[in-house]
Amino acid sequence: MKLSLFGVGDAGTRLVDKLLQAEVETGRNFTDGNVLAFNTAAEAFGETDTLPEERQILIGDTHSAVNQYVEPDADGPDTDTASATSRDHSPGVAGDPELGAEVADDELPEIRRALDLVDDTEVDAAMVVAGFGGGTGCGVGSVLLEELKSIYEIPVYVLGALPAADESDERAHTAARAVRTFVPLADAVLPVDNDAWARSTQPLTEQYDEINEMVATRMLSLFAAGESDPATVSEMRIDPADVMRTLAVGGLSSIGHASIEVDTSDEGLLARLMQLLGLAEETPDTQTDAATIKRLVRSALNSKLTLPCDIESTDRVLVILSGPPSDISRKGFETGRYLLEEETGTVEVLAGDEPLPNASEITATVLFSNVTDVPRIDELQERAVAYQREQDADTAVIDTATSIEGATAVAADASTAAPDDESDHPFEFHGTEEQQENGDAHGGDTVSPDADASDESTATDTPDGDATDGSAADTSADSDTATEDGDATTAAATSSDEHE
Amino acid sequence: MKLATIGVGNAGSKVIDRMVEFEQATGRDLCRHTLVINTARTDLAKPEHVPEDRRLLIGETHQKAKGHGVGGDAAIGAEVAQTEIDDIRRIFDDVEIHEVDAILVAAGLGGGTGSGAAPVVIEELQKMYDEPVYGLGMLPGKYEGGRPALNAARSLQSFVNKVDNFIAFDNDAWRSRGQTIEEGYEDMNRELATRIVTLLAAGEVDESEVGENAMDSSDIMRTMEVGGVSSIGYASTGVDTPDDGLLSRFSEEEVSNMESTDAAKIKGLVRRAVNSRLTVPCDVASAERALIIFAGPPSEISRKGVESARDWLEQETETVDVLAGDDPRTDSDTLAAVVLLSNVTDTPRIKEIQDQAVDAQDTIQQQEAVREEEIESLITDDDNDLDPIV
Repeated sequence: MKLSLFGVGDAGTRLVDKLLQAEVETGRNFTDGNVLAFNTAAEAFGETDTLPEERQILIGDTHSAVNQYVEPDADGPDTDTASATSRDHSPGVAGDPELGAEVADDELPEIRRALDLVDDTEVDAAMVVAGFGGGTGCGVGSVLLEELKSIYEIPVYVLGALPAADESDERAHTAARAVRTFVPLADAVLPVDNDAWARSTQPLTEQYDEINEMVATRMLSLFAAGESDPATVSEMRIDPADVMRTLAVGGLSSIGHASIEVDTSDEGLLARLMQLLGLAEETPDTQTDAATIKRLVRSALNSKLTLPCDIESTDRVLVILSGPPSDISRKGFETGRYLLEEETGTVEVLAGDEPLPNASEITATVLFSNVTDVPRIDELQERAVAYQREQDADTAVIDTATSIEGATAVAADASTAAPDDESDHPFEFHGTEEQQENGDAHGGDTVSPDADASDESTATDTPDGDATDGSAADTSADSDTATEDGDATTAAATSSDEHE
Repeated sequence: MKLATIGVGNAGSKVIDRMVEFEQATGRDLCRHTLVINTARTDLAKPEHVPEDRRLLIGETHQKAKGHGVGGDAAIGAEVAQTEIDDIRRIFDDVEIHEVDAILVAAGLGGGTGSGAAPVVIEELQKMYDEPVYGLGMLPGKYEGGRPALNAARSLQSFVNKVDNFIAFDNDAWRSRGQTIEEGYEDMNRELATRIVTLLAAGEVDESEVGENAMDSSDIMRTMEVGGVSSIGYASTGVDTPDDGLLSRFSEEEVSNMESTDAAKIKGLVRRAVNSRLTVPCDVASAERALIIFAGPPSEISRKGVESARDWLEQETETVDVLAGDDPRTDSDTLAAVVLLSNVTDTPRIKEIQDQAVDAQDTIQQQEAVREEEIESLITDDDNDLDPIV
């Protein structure tokens, strides 16, 4: 199927670049050049190899709170925000998703102009690629996701890495909130667990490239299946509708992947030639038997998943077998599919193949859609909550009153996303104080232009969305608009119901 | 018989394609009109014997299909066909219906397009024409999984209710080791095409060579008119071509010997046809009507053999409604017996599919019931302390 890719932030930009490289390497052209990258700091743009320069959009560079200065030895905002002290000096939005969202809201006209470079009628789906722990990835990513959902009819997916255990609690906090933001908005979210893929001996930053490569391989096997040679037809070929239907249930998805070599010895080639010439009646022995295919599917099932999870919690499954069609046993294909049905307990298992006549290996790629038992997400949430409480405790003394009033406003908003039984839950702890603090830190005096941009760009914004005092701007219970307090964050408040 | 044939979805289109291939290879002329309908553009490119202008892509403008198939979702398949029923009707304008005796709609019942769109097409055809509309449906194998079984169990009801007769083909009965993905269901499709064409092409020849024992289209239609699900048995044997000078010289002596064995040979062929793999395994005794056609050189068909074969089948099926006749093919190098068991009511495989479908439906409903709740619980922390960013 055809996908448009939207990289956001450093991590997202790098991964999109890697996906484009993989596209070139495998000959599976699945973007048709429909790519864009957004960043608040120009740094990651310099590291790209394949992503065209004119498709790299720098935003927020005129925003007073956005730091474009890059220290000579800085690792970039996605890696050095671990220490809170370096925050003010790191480029971009310094790991602050509220600021990221604000910048994106301010620059919506710019973003929209850039989106014109991508033709959504040429693609089957769009994908936002962003690091879940980064301020740009999550902040700008959220706004972009909302925007894409409101202008596109095609599904919009999100792909991105979750921060590792040795990254800061702040990033874990951002990631937990990103999951909370992306999932209701996007048609499906594909997080990658860096922890599961990192090798403890090396610093994570040095492994990004390998992990990105691993992700790219899986993404192309899944989404670009059949794009290398659309002329090859197979009876059980996977259709874009198959992938889209599998992902249509939403939630988080995970990918497993495994390969085996096929026999390409001389006898094999000769036999195949004989077959071509009509000299051999039966399919030669090179054909990989049913048991081997079933084993391959089992290894994909048991492989290290992009997001480790309990596969029995999956909702729908898709399996793609890529390789020489003359080597894949159909019985193996069927029993492999049935194995997935038995192991996952779901009956919605679609299977297809990608004929690659000259491939030297057979690859099984399994997509587990809507997995709901994901220990890593629980872990992230625990860390995030602990971090948030810590932050709240620090600032509670300063402005208790603001906190309580602000909480009411957010509670009204959050009720749309939260299950009914939790809608009346008192929000004693939330990001308001932190946002207030950020607003202060990044200069709350820039309010006027922000407020204007916000009114222009978010059609469903409440009329009083430009309220600039520190208390709740909108407390009406039926409003979906997350109008948050704090001068600088007003613009970040956008409707969360646009995706519906 | 003369047929208008319509393949819906991938499997249905393939079978129609193979039917045309087989009739061309054997000098038959059964399929007077062919048409394939699909929701996936790539699949429409596959048939080799269906003209470009007889391929209809539906669902190109449907939000979920867009010319890329329906992802195995029968509901979307039906929706797409319903929406574009005008286009479907329009393509029949070219069909000179008075030239055909019946319409055959072929579809795989496990996929989304075949199981969903084909019943819609059939319904429309029944409205438009007086000619009988027959269904030919491929039942998914057990290992194709729960969703295909559910599609099939539901679609089967629509098919059987709407068509004048439904010929079933069970993928599981024909599954064999050693087939590759490249071959796909090719050999199955060929087997099925051979049976269907041999059966339905009988009585199409209106020339002088038609003997008094020849099977007529109306005989076949009479056997099928009882409705329900039907199964086809088939067996064939090679024969010496009479006009082959060299061979006939050698076998001249044997001809007289053969005549005595002819009757036994014919009967044996019919027994094999019924006892070998039927298109859908069934209890032969549960058939309401039956019909035998012998296709091959008339000289090979012993009248005595035909009679004893018919008697045998009457006993097996416990019905007196057994017709037997010839389809003379003077130049054919094979003698084939094809047996149609009409309205068989005891088919274990259909029961199995229904059981699998009920289980699948339960699983799907359970998943749907908790889906939103589970996603919500995954993305929120225990106390719902964390807020979304936008």
